[in-house]
Amino acid sequence: MMKLSWKIWLLIVVLMCAALAISPSFETGVLIKSVEKNSTAFDSGLRPEIIIKSINGEQVKNIEDYQRIISSIFPVQDKIKLTITTKDSEFILFTDEAPLITIANIPKTKIKTGLDLSGGARAMVKPEVPLSSAELNDLIDITSNRFNEFGIKDISVKSVRDLSGNNFMLIEIAGATPSDLSELVSKQGKFEAKIGNETVFIGGEEDITYVARTGEQSGIYSCETYQTGEICSFRFAITLSAKAAKRHAEITNNLTINSTNPQYLSKPLELYLDGQLTDSLLISKDLKGSETTQISISGSGAGTTRKEAYDTALVNMNKLQTILITGSLPYKLEIVKIDTISPVLGKEFTKNILLLALVVFFIISVVLFIRYRKIKITLAVILTMFSEAFITLAIAALIKWNLDASSIAGIIAGMGTGVNDQIVILDEAVSSKQTSLKERIKSALFVILGAFFTIIAAMIPLFWAGAGMLKGFAFTTILGVSVGILITRPAFSEIIKLIVKD
Amino acid sequence: MENSQTEQHSKFGTFYNKNYKKLFLLPVLILIISLGYIAYFYSQNGDIMFKDSSLTGGTTITLIGDVNSQTLESALKSQFSDLTLRKITDLRSGEAISLIIETSASPEEIRPVIEKFLGYELTDKNSSIEFTGPSLSNSFYKQLLFALLISFILMSLVVFILFRTFIPSLAVIFAAFSDLVMPLALVNFLGIEISAAGIAAFLMLIGYSVDTDILLTTRALRKKEGKLNTRLYGAFKTGVLMTSTALLAVLPAFFISSALPDSFRQIFLILALGLFADLINTWLTNMSIIKWYCEKRRIE
Repeated sequence: MMKLSWKIWLLIVVLMCAALAISPSFETGVLIKSVEKNSTAFDSGLRPEIIIKSINGEQVKNIEDYQRIISSIFPVQDKIKLTITTKDSEFILFTDEAPLITIANIPKTKIKTGLDLSGGARAMVKPEVPLSSAELNDLIDITSNRFNEFGIKDISVKSVRDLSGNNFMLIEIAGATPSDLSELVSKQGKFEAKIGNETVFIGGEEDITYVARTGEQSGIYSCETYQTGEICSFRFAITLSAKAAKRHAEITNNLTINSTNPQYLSKPLELYLDGQLTDSLLISKDLKGSETTQISISGSGAGTTRKEAYDTALVNMNKLQTILITGSLPYKLEIVKIDTISPVLGKEFTKNILLLALVVFFIISVVLFIRYRKIKITLAVILTMFSEAFITLAIAALIKWNLDASSIAGIIAGMGTGVNDQIVILDEAVSSKQTSLKERIKSALFVILGAFFTIIAAMIPLFWAGAGMLKGFAFTTILGVSVGILITRPAFSEIIKLIVKD
Repeated sequence: MENSQTEQHSKFGTFYNKNYKKLFLLPVLILIISLGYIAYFYSQNGDIMFKDSSLTGGTTITLIGDVNSQTLESALKSQFSDLTLRKITDLRSGEAISLIIETSASPEEIRPVIEKFLGYELTDKNSSIEFTGPSLSNSFYKQLLFALLISFILMSLVVFILFRTFIPSLAVIFAAFSDLVMPLALVNFLGIEISAAGIAAFLMLIGYSVDTDILLTTRALRKKEGKLNTRLYGAFKTGVLMTSTALLAVLPAFFISSALPDSFRQIFLILALGLFADLINTWLTNMSIIKWYCEKRRIE
């Protein structure tokens, strides 16, 4: 066996680790992304990250299978038995509704793609007033909380900073996009319940200790035709804190009986959301001066059809409940960027990027073969290029970096400099033999090191400019050239030494 | 064969020895024209480039599928005068993949109009909607230009540290500067709107274009074997292969770029223009300065 230098061994070992880090999966089934708390599915023991293999004995290979099977079973009138077989166990649900879980196809590799390739939504929000980092963290907590209350789980909320020191909140949602994202993001969520000019209670846990979200105490209770459209009304119960209940007693104590409608008090309880009156509730005369903690909140939704009105009412109810739970923000928010990216185009892009990579590999092989007329050399260059891209991808997968289009452009740019470096090494290796091969390769490495540092210098400012929106490009370029200089370039020099010696 | 090559080589050598200072004039002339054009462009447009909605603020809506662009354009143009439409087709099948609509209006303004025209709701199944607010895009643009400046300064520092001689380092930096200016002038001339990714491509150029200059300077100043002209010629052969491989690798992106993310298209276009400018700036500008420097210093 030929004796290989440690530099080549290093490359081989790193390549094997890279394969492990990317580890393609050929498993079929669907992956549970989230399970609604307190649902039948949750109680049965289903949890995120579990892989569903079959339902009622019918095999589930992908999302389409899952949806087809579920829609063939539900809706049903009475509770039925649902057997969900997972990778290592079996779950039995007695239910009259589809399991409240979100699912996804099993990822084929551990490589994560960014929003512009996998689809999803992104919003960048700037508070009207400059925030300290503690305040910004509060904002992030409240926002994440709101999204969770709203039922969106696959979300990342973080703070970003730009070169001028501005702070932003960056929200990224993978996959589906909520239709009213901008409202959900930017709403200050200031909820006030007033009688006359006096505030009885506001949103948030200080005044409201409990908000009913399921069961008898929460839901749509009536729908009717109104003028040309339909209108549906919702109501849900909330529990006030002792302090808020006392305030309610003090304020209602000063009210008189309504003269036209003697069952009620003279002034209604008015609900304001972000300064706008959303509903006005008459207060029963029995409640005068009482420290009541149970209050029913109501509202409505309108639409041209009954279904539309029903859905709007549900959304409105959910929004109001969310705000009552999470409370309001003490300042206004401005949406400075909001993108919703369709996953459909991303698939096409990914396909074409792979095609592009193949064409580029092919062209470079042809050019190098024409120049050096040696199949071994051409193969060595292509192998090195491939290793470099592969290791870069693996590191990205390992640190869970989301590869967006600009990150991939960065990988390609890194490969480009890689080829350039290899040409420098090759030309030194095959050039006139006045000095030793080792000497010549050393001189090549000086050029390569110089090029490496200039690339790093050029890319570093991108980490901060524009709140890091182009960080991916800088990151993968730097990663690619670093992998080159530390692992593949030394190995390539050794391989070339072996080839040239022959 | 070896002999005829050396002969040709020496013939070229005599020509080069006589005329290298004149060869220097060509890129300088192109640079002056480019700078002049950018100055004129600035006086006309108040900026050094046309910016797309990612840098000026506004909305980009991508409609997936075959949408009749002409009727949509005429329907929208009356309300949104700055609106532009771009159709993306698959090069292989010729099928329309998507239609990109750009306007400075907000999504709330334009979305209902498009929905009304198309007769269906825009969802994440049939469209992408990207909006950048004017305040963000403005600071974004300024910061990217600032990043460009910082990159350039950092790169210059690296070059000075590498060579520790004033004139050769300056020659590299001058070539890198030309590599940025020439493509910018051309992109402006073609009326292309530059996106945030496009500016990242200029940053990339800073790093990408100097490697041939470093190669040239290293071979000329640090290597001891062979005559100066032989070393320059060797560097030229290696460098041209490097740049042309990169150019050839970038080119196919234009042919399949139709169905690639928009950011790709621009990154590759600017890289291609920059690489082309780099051929001129390294092998006419930088090489002439290095040759002149070596002759003055009697480096053979």
